[in-house]
Amino acid sequence: MLNRRQLLGTGVAGATLVSTKTWSQTANRSLPEAALTNAAGTQPPVAPVSGPDYNPVVTLNGWTLPHRMKDGVKEFHLVAEPVERELAEGTTAYLWGYNGTSIGPTIEAVEGDRVRIFVTNRLPEHTTVHWHGLILPSGMDGVQGLSHPGIPPGKTFAYEFDLVKSGTFMYHPHADEMVQMAMGMMGMFVVHPKDPAFRRVDRDFLIMLNAFDIDPGTYIPRVMEMTDFNLWTWNSRIFPGIDPLVVNKGDDVRVRVGNLTMTNHPIHMHGYDFKVSCTDGGWVPPEAAWPEVSIDIPVGAMRAFDFKADHEGDWAIHCHKSHHTMNAMGHDIPTFIGADKTQVTQKIRQLQPEYMPMGTAGMADMGEMEMPIPRNTTPMMTGWGKHGPIEMGGMFSVVKVRPGIATGDYADPGWYENPPGTQAAEWTGDVPEPIQVADAVTRYTDPPRSRG
Amino acid sequence: MGGLKMTVMAFPFALGACATTLPTGITAPGAGFALVASKTHEATGRRSVWLQSSAQAQQVAGEIHALVHRKTITADTAVQVALLNNRGLQASYAAIGISAAEVWQQATPENPVVSVGLLGIGAPELGLFRALESVIAVNLLDAPTRQRRVAVAQADFQRAQMQAVLDTLALANATRTAWIDAVAAFETVALLNRAAQSADASSELAFQLGRTGALNRAAQAREQVFDAELAAQTAEARLAAASAKEQLTRLMGLWGTEVDYFVPDALPALPGSLRSTAGLEVRALQNRVDLEVARLSLAATAAAYGLTDATRTLTDLEVIAGAELEREREDGNSEEEVTPQIELEFAIPIYDSGKARLRKAELSYLQAANVLAEAAVNVRSEARSAETQYRGTYAIARQYRDVVLPLRRIIDEESLLANNGMITSTFELLADVREGLGSQLDAAEAKHQFWRAAAGLDAAIYGGAGAAGGGDGGGVELAAGGGAGH
Repeated sequence: MLNRRQLLGTGVAGATLVSTKTWSQTANRSLPEAALTNAAGTQPPVAPVSGPDYNPVVTLNGWTLPHRMKDGVKEFHLVAEPVERELAEGTTAYLWGYNGTSIGPTIEAVEGDRVRIFVTNRLPEHTTVHWHGLILPSGMDGVQGLSHPGIPPGKTFAYEFDLVKSGTFMYHPHADEMVQMAMGMMGMFVVHPKDPAFRRVDRDFLIMLNAFDIDPGTYIPRVMEMTDFNLWTWNSRIFPGIDPLVVNKGDDVRVRVGNLTMTNHPIHMHGYDFKVSCTDGGWVPPEAAWPEVSIDIPVGAMRAFDFKADHEGDWAIHCHKSHHTMNAMGHDIPTFIGADKTQVTQKIRQLQPEYMPMGTAGMADMGEMEMPIPRNTTPMMTGWGKHGPIEMGGMFSVVKVRPGIATGDYADPGWYENPPGTQAAEWTGDVPEPIQVADAVTRYTDPPRSRG
Repeated sequence: MGGLKMTVMAFPFALGACATTLPTGITAPGAGFALVASKTHEATGRRSVWLQSSAQAQQVAGEIHALVHRKTITADTAVQVALLNNRGLQASYAAIGISAAEVWQQATPENPVVSVGLLGIGAPELGLFRALESVIAVNLLDAPTRQRRVAVAQADFQRAQMQAVLDTLALANATRTAWIDAVAAFETVALLNRAAQSADASSELAFQLGRTGALNRAAQAREQVFDAELAAQTAEARLAAASAKEQLTRLMGLWGTEVDYFVPDALPALPGSLRSTAGLEVRALQNRVDLEVARLSLAATAAAYGLTDATRTLTDLEVIAGAELEREREDGNSEEEVTPQIELEFAIPIYDSGKARLRKAELSYLQAANVLAEAAVNVRSEARSAETQYRGTYAIARQYRDVVLPLRRIIDEESLLANNGMITSTFELLADVREGLGSQLDAAEAKHQFWRAAAGLDAAIYGGAGAAGGGDGGGVELAAGGGAGH
């Protein structure tokens, strides 16, 4: 649900969220306010109040960085700093991010804008910002040592360049990159076309794929991890902490997905086929767009896909790597399926009276049983739907397509009521004999008999 | 026929009449034991008896039966039974009696010596015998030295009492320690049983996973071998516990159906605070019985030295005073003649002036004095050492109780939570349980050492530590040799 109090922008509400320390520092140096939030819910889009018009994006479980115009330049202020991020209820991570959150706020501007982005470093080590996919002068590219010296702790650097193309981009550090990205420093940068009508959609969602290795019961990511991540996140959130993508039936919808994890993610959306419309390289010509129901997002890339929201319902959207739709879990657990744990349980209970045998019939009991687990840990598969446990975690959400949702309304409409006769249910009538085979021999189907 | 000549001592009793007054109670059957009983009661809080009649023995046997048969006994009960029933201790008590008898002996005048001489035996030409010569002689030196000899015997008697006290304390201490060792051994068994239970669960799980195809033979065997090894270790611990209990049984002097007693499964918890050990050194110096024994040895040696000094030239002097009765029979008439007679028999101190003997006595005194000095130094050191042990083992045991085990509890809790969350496997849960039990074993051993040190504290104050410090062997030695050497 949206929290209006947390609405950020140029209004009074935004100003109250600015810390006085930040304000006095920035005011003294005539920097734009460094807007700040620590909320983890999706914040409504920020409509442009100056400069050319555009249709603002919605960052799932995120927010958009306000700007000010100064001498015809759009000024933003990013503060790189340690943050606490609630990944889902019951799990808080100590990360590094920007302006109070990881991922950082989304920067939105328009093709042709000149932007000046102040970056204040409140980290214990130097940092830089690389503007991933943007065309800009070499000295603004943010590669520590190569483009410019790192921004020392406590200092503010200014990046300034023209936005020469529209599209979907990212920003992240290029200084001690391994650590700083593992700690959650990243954000999205959307450049809208000069012509607001160009490939316009009604709802435009942003999802950044990121991953952390945070041991159950701990708070800070293990930055040295290379492959064995245990928390697969969208915008530094895990399901059931990820908000739904709320859509009005008939809307044109765009979903922009960036990937700053260390592996690819086949993002699959149920109920629809969609077309890939944009990459961080630019727009895909409509005649070249190809249909998909899953789109693989490579490491370090952005993809946008568009669809018309014709099919009402609650549609899952998730990474199709099944371990990526799980939260913290052990990877070295033997398969207990089919094991008779009756005696074992009796024996263990004499030592650990609260022991519960699990996994002997699969792992669905993890979704159903709500047993105490280590603190600061969200169960590996959790979240309840209308019909029971959803048995998913990590990179999972729901596209909720409903008729009559007002423009700008992103509030969760609740669970979809399937019309009568459109929901699978128990069959009590005659069932055809199931055909089974017990070997691995190739079988040829008999050719169809000709009729005549 | 030759005449018969008989010499009869006429007044030996007059000489013997000046007998020394006996110390009171010396002739009583339980002479000297009251002191032992009261002194040991002060240190152990338990009663000791000196069994001298079958009725008494029967009564004590009944008492012991009531205390131990099919009972779970406390350390105090064990000590009480040992004090009542250990036969080595009774042997030690008998030594008091022997030395009491010695005092009595020394205080009693020497019996006159009757010497009878037959002259002419084996000379048939002279008839069967010519004369029977008899003399009743008394050692004249007996009376003047009696006082000193009694003093020596009395010092020995006191020393025997103190030694009996020491033996009693040593037995009490050895019994208490044996009880502590036995209980600790059973506690170890109980903990290992729990560890074995977790290993058993792991083994069972491995078997089940082998059945479903989730665990290969090597992994199954790995879980099962641990179970098997732990079972062997548990059996070893059970054996050690049985031996420890047998040691206790020996010290308590039990046999037959009386061995059907039990010890608790676990030692008492650590006390909340330590006993005051203020002035431990001083208390030890005042109370240590072995120090008292050394002191009495010195006194006895001093008395003996005095005796030596007084008699050094007269040691072998024997003065025989008497009267000679001579009876001659001739032609059917017998004629009797009594002649007073003094015979003096002595060694002429030409070669041996007694100086060597005196020197020996002097050095014996010096030796005893040095033994006492050494004992005092040792007592002080032992007191300090016992205090260090007491405080040190307490700190260690408390570290386990207050820090290690609570941390282990956290690990156990978190392990269960992680297992609930399918973050770790059941095997890991069981491994944590086993490691926790390992810490409990360490904690139990630390507690064991503390209670041993606590028992050692009494021994440091009152004596009897010899058996306590050395572990299993000490008590056996005491039980076997408690009364020997006296």
